[in-house]
Amino acid sequence: MNDLIKELYQEIILDHGQDPRNFGECNPHNKSADGHNPLCGDNLKLTFFVNQDDIIEDIKFTGEGCAISLASASLMTEKLKGLEISVAEEIFKDFAKLVSGSSDDLKILNEEDSLYALKGVGGFPMRVKCATMAWHAFKEALKN
Amino acid sequence: MIDVQKIRDDFPILNKKILNKKNLIYLDTAASAQKPQVVTDEINSFYSNNYANVSRGVHTLSVESTFKYEDARKRVQKFINAESEREIIFTKSATDSINLIANTFAEKYINEGDEIILSIMEHHSNIIPWFLIRDKYKCKILFANIDNDGNINEEHFESLINEKTKLVSITHLSNVFGTITNQKIINLCNNAGIPILLDGCQSAAHIPIDVKALGCDFYVFSGHKLYGPTGIGVLFGKEKLIEELPPYQGGGGMIADVSTEGATYTDLPAKFEAGTPPLVQAYGLGVAIDYVNKLEMSKISEYELELTKYALNKMQELDFIDIHGENNNKHSIISFNLEKIHSHEVSSYLDVEGVAIRAGHHCCQPLMKQMKLNATARVSFGIYNTIEEIDAFISALKNCRDFFKK
Repeated sequence: MNDLIKELYQEIILDHGQDPRNFGECNPHNKSADGHNPLCGDNLKLTFFVNQDDIIEDIKFTGEGCAISLASASLMTEKLKGLEISVAEEIFKDFAKLVSGSSDDLKILNEEDSLYALKGVGGFPMRVKCATMAWHAFKEALKN
Repeated sequence: MIDVQKIRDDFPILNKKILNKKNLIYLDTAASAQKPQVVTDEINSFYSNNYANVSRGVHTLSVESTFKYEDARKRVQKFINAESEREIIFTKSATDSINLIANTFAEKYINEGDEIILSIMEHHSNIIPWFLIRDKYKCKILFANIDNDGNINEEHFESLINEKTKLVSITHLSNVFGTITNQKIINLCNNAGIPILLDGCQSAAHIPIDVKALGCDFYVFSGHKLYGPTGIGVLFGKEKLIEELPPYQGGGGMIADVSTEGATYTDLPAKFEAGTPPLVQAYGLGVAIDYVNKLEMSKISEYELELTKYALNKMQELDFIDIHGENNNKHSIISFNLEKIHSHEVSSYLDVEGVAIRAGHHCCQPLMKQMKLNATARVSFGIYNTIEEIDAFISALKNCRDFFKK
């Protein structure tokens, strides 16, 4: 078995890919956006509710895609629930670095985070878009 | 008989190790073919020894360059058995060729309410140009259904033809199913007097092409899928039809006379080749055609069919593989899914075993939506693939399934 593949498909990724958490639509929600990867056809719809203190009270997604995109969306919703928007945005910056193969100067994320399991995507440049699709939808929703 | 080991020696890239370990097994020729050394050598040599702009200067290099460019046109003409060199237009890609016909044909013949027939399994490059025409001229685009075996449904196709039909544009060899369009479909168009464009992106590399015998009015293909360079496409159009069409783009090389009042246009084929053409690429395509001709297209076709049948049999033995459009009319292309495992996973897994396959919607989203699939995996074969490589691919599929099953 190749190490790169093991690194990419850690147990937690396969688990979340097959059984995504927070799958569905958030009701009520005041933020939403669609994520789409036109190269492969994967897509998702992200909905979340941000309260007056800028805290993400609830966040969910639906969609179809590969294990990496589903697991990434699932882990993202788990991570972001209860966090302040500004913190979430910082985490996205870390995450983008992590999945691009540079995990050196991360500000918030560390090896204890379940999101860290997506580090293996760094070995597969063509899969970075799968891993960041949900995050880009999150950023997009904040603009709306 | 094809000596595949000898052929493999012509393709330096086949010595590449993937991730520094695994031998490359390239099963993505339908996306783009690898290049034999002679093609890249000849391209280099052209730049080093003969290069200048074509059809313009009178100096020696310009003459040499022009000769090589026009010689490539002759090779293409013979390769697809066109009547005349005037029927061969060089473009930058097959997509460019389709856009050329879509725009010029529509300008001349398409009016509001007219109809153009495609099939549901067309590649985006044979859908979007027509959508743009539809928006501009308010015509209708109709899609012929396909059967479960990946062939165009003849009854449905025939039912779409009526007095409003102005053009039919369909694939000659499906880039998803590997199915070859039935001659009856072309005959139906001929009998109804409706011009038909065949998208030959896949067929040009896998089966002998005779545009006269096929009876198509337009035929397009690209160089890079035929072991030639990128940046070169071909448009064949029956002389009577294309000489009636207006110019596509304006520029140097396509004019007879220009004044401040206007211009008159030159004759075929230059009329459709505005600007400096991809002349080195055209030459490279000519070299690739020579290479293919030496091996003989009929033998290549036979060999690739053998590979396809072998792979199909092996894949059918695997109960976890679902082949799309199962039939015996497949050539060089097989699309499949591995249980519920997304094709991205299959492709990434196979990649680390050195096996390059395509994953995704293959630029055929309307078809994928109809098949209710988000994506499929696809293997495709070229002249350099071997039975041993297919065995390695099958074994990688088994490993992949074991890995994701747990």
